[in-house]
Amino acid sequence: MSTATARPRVRLPQLTLVQRLGLLLGSIAFLVPLLIQIPGLEPAGHRMLAIFLLAILFWVTEAIPLYATAVLVILLQVLMLSDQALVGGVGPLPPAATYFATLANPVIILFLGGFLIADGAHKFGLDRSLAAVMLRPFAGNARLSLLGLMMITALLSMFVSNTATTATMFAVVIPILAALPKGPARTGVALAIPIAANVGGIGTPVGSPPNAIALGALEASGQGISFIGWMLLAVPLMVVVLLFSWWFLSRRYIAVDTPMSLELSADFDRSPAALIFYLVAGATVLLWLTEPFHGISSSTVGFLPVVALLATQVMGADDIKRLQWPVLWLVAGGIALGAGIGASGLDVWLIGLVAWEALPLTLLLLLLVAVSVGLSTVISHSAAANLLVPLTLSLAIGLPIDPTAVGVMVALACALGMALPISTPPNAIAYATGEVPTSEMIVSGVVIGGFGALLLALVMPSVWDALGLL
Amino acid sequence: MKLALLILEDERPVREALRRDLVSFARHVRLEEAEDVPTALEVIEEIDAAGDRLALVMADHRLPGTSGVDFLIGLAADDRTATARKVLVTGQADQDDTIRAINEAGLDRYVAKPWQADALCELVRDQLTAFVVAAGVDPLPHLAVLDAERALAIVRERGDL
Repeated sequence: MSTATARPRVRLPQLTLVQRLGLLLGSIAFLVPLLIQIPGLEPAGHRMLAIFLLAILFWVTEAIPLYATAVLVILLQVLMLSDQALVGGVGPLPPAATYFATLANPVIILFLGGFLIADGAHKFGLDRSLAAVMLRPFAGNARLSLLGLMMITALLSMFVSNTATTATMFAVVIPILAALPKGPARTGVALAIPIAANVGGIGTPVGSPPNAIALGALEASGQGISFIGWMLLAVPLMVVVLLFSWWFLSRRYIAVDTPMSLELSADFDRSPAALIFYLVAGATVLLWLTEPFHGISSSTVGFLPVVALLATQVMGADDIKRLQWPVLWLVAGGIALGAGIGASGLDVWLIGLVAWEALPLTLLLLLLVAVSVGLSTVISHSAAANLLVPLTLSLAIGLPIDPTAVGVMVALACALGMALPISTPPNAIAYATGEVPTSEMIVSGVVIGGFGALLLALVMPSVWDALGLL
Repeated sequence: MKLALLILEDERPVREALRRDLVSFARHVRLEEAEDVPTALEVIEEIDAAGDRLALVMADHRLPGTSGVDFLIGLAADDRTATARKVLVTGQADQDDTIRAINEAGLDRYVAKPWQADALCELVRDQLTAFVVAAGVDPLPHLAVLDAERALAIVRERGDL
């Protein structure tokens, strides 16, 4: 007998007022540079400015999904700024293929490898087993346990997306949370995980999308950074901010005598498929860390696990489909935007708008970091990086500082915006557990984000200089 | 948007017992009751009009007028309610009714009266989670009434957008 089951209705989401406004203002802002002649801006620059303004309004208001704006940016660049432009007459334009190529930019390939390894780690239960093993030495003392939780979360988050790390760690932690007395201790633990995941994400190029956006933009301007090079720049900041967060959270929320049990069982998969996975993942990470010795770029290394895991059938077509394509496309849109701003002469015009060189460098860096943290608190970290990285890299041309430092700084600052439930998916998860009041998230986010921002703007440039990293 | 749970039961004491046992869900889920099929259809209209989603129906079989099984078969054919999870809560459905409920309405669970309160809550949590997974609803606003492990598995695949 056949079942008379209806095809479920596809529901379009209701647009919020902000989204409607975003659609309207974005469309108007798109038209203005096309209709008005701006002195000092080349014809191609006008078109790029139109696309950039549209991207700002759409990404900030999320008028359409973030990844939809990203592909819209690429399409508009093809239609307005390539050899296939609908209206010519603005001088020689690059082939359309250069814009489409951003979807397979080497940084995207690097992320493809990172995502596949992260998904495999989950598929074989490696993430949970590692967490269980590494938490054991921290058992006994509640504050020490919190440190253990945060360190493991950050370590996982260096290689796995911040969101997936948070989801995994909450699955581990929910029984621990339930055993804690209601109140501050639960809040402290539930806050520690998203904070550690956000901070850990800055540690490696594959840790979170803003890193990829900065890397892609720097590579486009011939200033690529190796995997280990990125880690040397970012890990010191990561460790200090992490330790500070632990100190702050444990003082504020965890009484010394809080009982906390961390009895987790590690269950390492020893099937042949899992063993091949461990080998491939281990080899990939090792090759990433040793780039200065063998010279194979991190993107090429990132493609290695893709080939090896698919060829050995440890992972298959379903795993490819499950990869976070929306994130990859969002990054590609950011890279395309950056490339367009550089190629159209819009960057030169933007720098000319303000006499940046008249400001003291320290103040300028503080401003840069503050804007990045502020914007990424209210919009997606990746979208904030997509907008700010190309802007600040153009700005850096006229400054007495290495553009690499500026690019990395903006990417790292975009990770520090974590004062609201909407700031990042990890925060949204923590908020959804019901253990974290918004007010506590604001307090911890402002204190820890603020500490990280000051460190990043005032101390890190000298540290990088002193270590000879730039 | 809230998830809605509809109890279809003609006997008031049974309805009240169900509501009492599911009280822990009431803070996060829209709990609705109906004593017969026409009322149930009205309630579904209201849920839909308010922009909420019917996630779970717990229906008795023996009702005045249309039977619970026929009601569930109707839900399966309606594009608004096709994804709703369907549970029969009854002591009086014979084998033929039960077979029709499974084959034609895609029945998800069968609860025999009398039920155990704890087991019922587990079942509701499990079914709400199954609805969220199948309907592609964002699980985070409803995390309190879901199986956290399965709900977080959906979130994990989103990545850092």
